[in-house]
Amino acid sequence: MITIEDFMHRLPNDVGGQASPAFARVEHALAPWEKRCHALADVLDYHKLISTEEKRRGVEGLGADVINRLSYYERWATAFAVLLFEKGILTPTELAEKMAEIEARWPDERVSSTGEPRP
Amino acid sequence: MHEQDHDHDHDHHDHDHDHAEISATERPGYFDILQAALEELLNERKLVTTAEIERQIDVLDSRTPALGATIVARAWTDPDFRQQLLADGRGTCESLGITFYDDTGLIVLENTETVHNLVVCTLCSCYPRPLLGLPPEWYKLKPYRARAVIEPRALLAEFGTIIPDDVEIRVADSTSALRFLVLPLRPKGTDDYTEEQLAALVTRDAMIGVVTVKANDERVAA
Repeated sequence: MITIEDFMHRLPNDVGGQASPAFARVEHALAPWEKRCHALADVLDYHKLISTEEKRRGVEGLGADVINRLSYYERWATAFAVLLFEKGILTPTELAEKMAEIEARWPDERVSSTGEPRP
Repeated sequence: MHEQDHDHDHDHHDHDHDHAEISATERPGYFDILQAALEELLNERKLVTTAEIERQIDVLDSRTPALGATIVARAWTDPDFRQQLLADGRGTCESLGITFYDDTGLIVLENTETVHNLVVCTLCSCYPRPLLGLPPEWYKLKPYRARAVIEPRALLAEFGTIIPDDVEIRVADSTSALRFLVLPLRPKGTDDYTEEQLAALVTRDAMIGVVTVKANDERVAA
């Protein structure tokens, strides 16, 4: 059982030495948006807008529930949004409006991108 | 993400179009849209350009374990190079024209008859990407990160790698500023191999330290 002490002693990313699910030698080819997300991370680091360590802490700051629910690059993209809000580079409204604008470029409403069931 | 649709298309069309066309007509998922929105907004603010992202995708695609393998093979055949590499990982790689696109140091860890090195990033997924490309999925998942530092011998056995009890296992935990590459043991029976033949034996997993390098005849036997 996980105790309150476990939560107090470790942040979500700090898994070294913890009990863990069984190991499996999983490989995963990146989807196009995932590769773009990785490239964006490198460019943000290069321009000193978001460093690699800020990104890691940004992911950690999402909290264990969100981290466990999202895939690797879903965490990155979410952390970028939060960090860019914190730095005053973007606002949540601007991002929401831009996402709606992009979504509207696909007129077919039969599939809702936001309503996609998660595995 | 849309694998089923994708397969369906392939069953019912002649292959007279490329895959980009298919993906461009698929409705994007939530995170595709989030990623595209971040990119467009940063573009509009002139903080990041699409050209930079495309260029970085090319850089990412250009880095594969074959690059790391050339470094290992050189270190096996050139003792002076090996000494330089162990003393200054990044500088020595850069002297061969390998650019480090991120601000990271590199330490090369040499396996010997008495020491086996293993690389992990317990906090996330730091990895010598300029030399090996992007890390495998299992390297980023909790089981590997959690267990590597507490029971490396048992974990290595799950890769089929049995390290004798009298060989010390050293686990290097990467950080955002410092990355590690394992210089594996050169397999026996390869004295007459050329540098290119040696490089062809060196795998990604051997440079992470989860497997050893085997000569061609050993591979067939295994």
